[in-house]
Amino acid sequence: MTAPAFLTLDSLGKDYGTVTAVRDVSLSVAPGEFLGLLGPSGCGKTTTLQMIAGFEAPSRGRILMEGRDLTGTPPAQRGIGLVFQSYALFPHMTAAENVAFGLEMRRVPRPERGRRVAEALAQVRLGHLAERFPRNMSGGQQQRVALARALVVEPRLLLLDEPLSNLDAKLREEMQVELRELQRRIGVTTVLVTHDQAEAMALCDRVAIMQGGRVVQIDAPWQAYDIPADAFVADFLGRSNRLPARAASGHAEAAGHRFCLPPELADRQGDILLTIRPERLRIRCERAPESPPGLEGRVQARLFLGGFWLYTVETALGAFAVMAQNTGATPLDEGAAVTLDWDAHSLRRLEPA
Amino acid sequence: MTRLDRLTPALLTAPSALVYAGALLVPLAGVLALSLHGFDFEKGVLPGWGLANYQDLFTDPLFGEALARTFRIAGLTTLICLLVGVPEAWIIHRMDPRWRGPMLLVVVGPLLVSVVVRNFGWMVLLGTNGLVNQALTALHVPGAPFRLMFTEGAVVVGLVHVMVPLVVLSVWASLGRLDPVLERAATSLGAGRFTVFTRVVLPNVMPGVMAGALMVFCLSASAFATPAMLGGKRLKVVSSMTYNEFLNTLNWPLGAALATVLMAAILLATLLWTRLVEKRALRRLGEVAQGGPA
Ligand SMILES: Nc1ncnc2c1ncn2[C@@H]1O[C@H](COP(=O)(O)OP(=O)(O)OP(=O)(O)O)[C@@H](O)[C@H]1O
Ligand SMILES: [Mg+2]
Repeated sequence: MTAPAFLTLDSLGKDYGTVTAVRDVSLSVAPGEFLGLLGPSGCGKTTTLQMIAGFEAPSRGRILMEGRDLTGTPPAQRGIGLVFQSYALFPHMTAAENVAFGLEMRRVPRPERGRRVAEALAQVRLGHLAERFPRNMSGGQQQRVALARALVVEPRLLLLDEPLSNLDAKLREEMQVELRELQRRIGVTTVLVTHDQAEAMALCDRVAIMQGGRVVQIDAPWQAYDIPADAFVADFLGRSNRLPARAASGHAEAAGHRFCLPPELADRQGDILLTIRPERLRIRCERAPESPPGLEGRVQARLFLGGFWLYTVETALGAFAVMAQNTGATPLDEGAAVTLDWDAHSLRRLEPA
Repeated sequence: MTRLDRLTPALLTAPSALVYAGALLVPLAGVLALSLHGFDFEKGVLPGWGLANYQDLFTDPLFGEALARTFRIAGLTTLICLLVGVPEAWIIHRMDPRWRGPMLLVVVGPLLVSVVVRNFGWMVLLGTNGLVNQALTALHVPGAPFRLMFTEGAVVVGLVHVMVPLVVLSVWASLGRLDPVLERAATSLGAGRFTVFTRVVLPNVMPGVMAGALMVFCLSASAFATPAMLGGKRLKVVSSMTYNEFLNTLNWPLGAALATVLMAAILLATLLWTRLVEKRALRRLGEVAQGGPA
């Protein structure tokens, strides 16, 4: 990132007694950026977010916002908008009252308050439900009220803790589009916590992938997907196939099968762990005449995903997941004998996790 | 089959309904009936029916005074219990979990001590030569020693002592149901600690506050031992008057009338409370208060 960082976490850590919730998190967020904090359950995402918000005191490290150390700034004064996983709407207040709360705390005069509340609710397309109580709203509507409540005070930083995890798949997709669009329009720097890799990849400019209280990779989603830092990331972001092999003079060999290595791996020697994405594998019927040699196998299972077929193919190198576009042709049967092949440049080397 | 189905609820509730009727409604009806009889010191309870007892009560200025005092004491006790108990519950709720258990035990403490022992304790403290007055005299407070015993103040102190735990426990239960994230949400929006309590916590634990208040009020209005011990013979409340009629004067019909009036008055007060205060406080939470008091 070329722009000066808006938010910087510097070797941040948090212990609860003997439990280390966050080991060592260092990252920076550019102004206006949408950063995703992605990782499996219990890896310390919420704890990190709560430390940024000021509700948990870091055991180690610093949090800098626009170059200023936030340690000692109480949460109420950090100017951070927070959307909780459970929304945390005030049950005794209407949608409008919920949104107005932050403005009241800032002593915004009544007429302006009313105007801004109406604007904020319109922004999340809830103008017509201003007088509803949260208990009478759907999950998606509550989520949007929570978003409006966080945004109406014009926070410098927006923190979202799994804000869409309570929604059904369809609504979640809709809200993702809305959230992305809203964030772009307002331009507020945003940190989103999620354990849903698809959501992080869809929404974020960059994702920080966490494991066991550490950030293992920060990259644009497609970069992290294309060149995962290690085996954990490769498995966590989408699907991947493992290919342990022995490298020698630009080639690799595994279970008697020999194939080319990409140029950047050409000088590797000895044991090597390779990986390849399911959609980079080509699958074809064995019977095709005079086809180039490939890895022979048998379809063990197939899964229809609408636009794609996901095949599990058993080979001498183990089971491979193969994604084949649904072209309308008859799919391969379970048990069918097939041949897999791929381009050498689709192979990636992995550091063993 | 369908007939049996329709009868099932009635059959299942029948035993408790019978106990309820036998142990509560029958004696109550007995008291009501008794209050309609006359009384003579020579002949005892007279067979005739009439409202003479009630007429006597409502024309007796002493009774009016006692009734007013009963409700004054109960009202004041309720108010103080809320002012003390609600913040107390909140503070304990926010404590480190290690301290919560012991603290709750301390709070519940007064309930574990017999009413007589507890009130004797207050008598020792509040007497003319009691600890409080000794301290005040030693500090050269002008006017000390004060007359503390046998005042309405002493009765209120004694009642508050034992009633506060009821408010704490009832608010405590409500606090347990409160989403702790709400406080963080309010704080992140810029609310200070006090504002978080008044604007977010308090409105959401209103069911507990209301239930606690109702309990304290009813129990204080019908309390007998504490007013009798700390208020003395001259500060009559309705329950001590009732006791007197039943056990000293032996005018049972008049005692029954007293009991009936007290019960009706408490019932009326709680009805008014639920109608006017509780409903309004709970409406925003979407919990429409149930009509009758418990
Ligand atoms: N108050 C606490 N006391 C002790 N351990 C805690 C506390 N809060 C969190 N932890 C531990 O710290 C680790 C990280 O917790 P955290 O809530 O940050 O995970 P997360 O990444 O948000 O997970 P999830 O996706 O399930 O929400 C977990 O192992 C958790 O058990
Ligand atoms: Mg979490």
